[in-house]
This record gives sequence, C-alpha cells and structure tokens, in this order.
Amino acid sequence: MTDDQSPRRISRRDLLRSAGLAGAAAILPGSLHGLAEGEGEVLPDETPTPAASGAVRSGLTMNLTVEEAEILNAMIGRLIPDDEYGPGAQEAGAFGYIDRELGGALAASREIYRAGLLALDRYAQYSRGARFIDLDHTDQDSVLFDVQTGGATGSGAGFLGSSAAFFNLVRAHTWQATFGDPYYGGNRDFIGWDLIDYPGPRMAVSVEDQKLLESGALQSLRRSVYE
Amino acid sequence: MMRLIGASLLAAILFAGAVAPGVQAQSPEPIIVQSPTMQTGQMMPRDYAPDGRNLSPPLTWDNLPEGTRQIAVICQDHGAGNPPPWVHWIIYNIPGTARGLPEGIPFDAGVPMPPQVTGAVQGNNGWGLSMYRGPAPPAGNLHHYHFVVYALDEELNLPPDLDREELLEAIEGHVIGQGDLVPLYERIQMPEPSGRPRVRDNEFL
Repeated sequence: MTDDQSPRRISRRDLLRSAGLAGAAAILPGSLHGLAEGEGEVLPDETPTPAASGAVRSGLTMNLTVEEAEILNAMIGRLIPDDEYGPGAQEAGAFGYIDRELGGALAASREIYRAGLLALDRYAQYSRGARFIDLDHTDQDSVLFDVQTGGATGSGAGFLGSSAAFFNLVRAHTWQATFGDPYYGGNRDFIGWDLIDYPGPRMAVSVEDQKLLESGALQSLRRSVYE
Repeated sequence: MMRLIGASLLAAILFAGAVAPGVQAQSPEPIIVQSPTMQTGQMMPRDYAPDGRNLSPPLTWDNLPEGTRQIAVICQDHGAGNPPPWVHWIIYNIPGTARGLPEGIPFDAGVPMPPQVTGAVQGNNGWGLSMYRGPAPPAGNLHHYHFVVYALDEELNLPPDLDREELLEAIEGHVIGQGDLVPLYERIQMPEPSGRPRVRDNEFL
C-alpha cells in the first residue's frame, strides 16, 4: 500500500447511523471498548472513572496544554458538529471528558494526542496556510479528510504512525464522550442520546414501550444507568 | 456443401450476435482532455494534493463524439492499490453539454454542484468516500494519475456513491468516446519541525 488506504467514512449521516448502533450498547462501561474495536482500532484499557458532573471548569484544562486544547476542541467540533441535527460533541462536553481521562483511563494515549494535535496543526499550516483553529469549517473538514485517509501521513508533520490511526483514536474517544453514559462525565444533558434518539436504559420494556420505541414516540428517561 | 453453408451461417449468426450492441464492439472515439493547470507528464500543483488544499483539479474536454449525452470521469493511480488501480475520484452524470469540470468540486454532497455540471454526482473512491482525494504517495515515489473521461451515449442518471467497478459495469455499452490526462505527483515533505525531537511518520507502523 502506498497510501493509508483503509476505507473510512466521516459523513454526518453515516456517523450518526453508526453511533445509533453503538449508542444502545454504550450504557455499559465495558461497551466502551466495543466502540473502538468496531473501528478496527486496538486501544488500551479505557474504562473511564466516574465523574459526578462535567469535571472540567470552563477555560481550564486538566491534562492538555492550552494549545493542544484549542486544536482538540476544534477537531471534535467538526467530528460531531452543532448543526441542524442538534448540538454536537463540544456541547456534549466531549472535550472535558477526553482532557480529564487523558490523566486516567486514556493516559496511554496522552503522547499520541500530544504529537497528533501538534502534527494536525502543523499540517494545517503547511497545506492550508493557517492554523487549524483559524480555518473555516470547510477547510477544517478538508484537513480532517486528509488526516482520516492517511493523506497527512508522510507529510513530515510529526504524527506518531499513521494520521488515520490518530484520527480514529480521537473519533472513538469523541464518540465515547458524546454517546456514553453521562455517569462518566460526557454526554452532557443527554445531548448524545437525544442526537441518536436513544431513550435511555430501562430495567424492563413493556409491550407498550416497545410499540412506542418502534414508532419513535418513546420518551427519553434522561437518566444514567447508575441513577 | 450444405455443411459449409451451415457453418458459414452459424458463424455469421454468432458474429452478428457479437456485434449486435454495435457501440460495444467499436472503439470509443478519442476525446481531447486538458486542464488549465495540469499537463500530461508534468507535476500536478500541490493544491490538488493533501500537501496543499486537496482541491479537485479543473479539467476540460474537446472532440466529444456526436450523440454524447453524459460524461463520467475517473481519476486512478495504476501504481497503487491491491489490485491496481487505486481510485482517487469518481464523478458522473455530468451533462453532455459540459465542456469540463471547474476546480474544487464540493466534497459535501449537501453543497450544490457548479451550474455547468448540475446533476453530476460523485462515486466512492478507494477510501470509500464520495469525494476527490488527491495524491499522497510515499516520499520519493513519482506516481502517474490518470484522469479518464468517458463520453456516454445515454443519460444514465446513475445513483451516487458507485465505486469504480460498479460505474464501469453501468456504463458498459454506452461509452462512445474516451480520453485521458496523466499528470504526475511526488510528495513534498514539509520542513523538519524545530524545537522538539523529530519522530518520523510511520516509525511505529
């Protein structure tokens, strides 16, 4: 293979379709591994620690530098954007989740994030002439397509391995943060579950509930599985 | 004698059957494919690669056969893929009246196509994405990128997201003209990062 040639998709429509499948499984901590494995990535043990609420106060970071934080926040904002479908990953607190867990369950990925985020920014400056955070959304998406398809690999930007591997890692963590149980500090205000019409975990499902679910009329419990 | 006549008749029937579709048995007429920014055998500008803005390049075509109703374009690299070629771009349902493609076809299917190619749709490239993805071969490797233009005798109005194999199957028997433009590309390495240890890409692959 001369390029990184793994077929990938990034479209909002497909992302949500896939997330919908993953979302129902995401109520259990162990399923967080499944989200990543479904993308063909082998990730370290990443069961996050519980967080009573969004642990990261606005404007502060716990494990990322300010520069890294700006880039990551912009990136996850394009992976699941705030658009006509509803609020996105930023609004769901995905940045806070990842930043916090890089000092915990995701600590093994800390160096990949450091190198990858700086490489992403260098690559944006080299290929598009501006920092990633300063590009408009179209150019940010275009850069991310290059990173996703491995086009940024071999550019000399400084990715640790394939740029596609970095992209898939951040995407997997963004999904965990957005669609996982709010108990773990992401999915703020159930934004992720609302986005995929996941009605929340239930101990029992009546025939009536099943009918409502199939017709899309089942009301969300808006409750963590641990409550 | 009867045997000879019978054999001749059989051969004639078989031959007639083989050429029945007519168009299939004829070689497509040559189309002149050009670009205001690229030439066959010359390096592509980096803006058509991930080293630059990764825009789809502008193309023009001339000498379309009479009866051209629609046009399809594939960009492929015969030096990559398993099996080759590796597909960088597929776009089809281009009106037969179009005389080219402008630079920067939208990668978002929700963004309208430029007016001169209204109705055109993009197919799945080698990454499974319905968009143009320019060349990024390994550093030090010069690759050839074939922009192949097909003139079709019918408005097929195919669905989006077809891959190369599906598209070629769909247009089989409808290709009345064909031409290509084959620019080159070699990866441009960005300067070494300063102020921190250099880690080579792919080192951990």
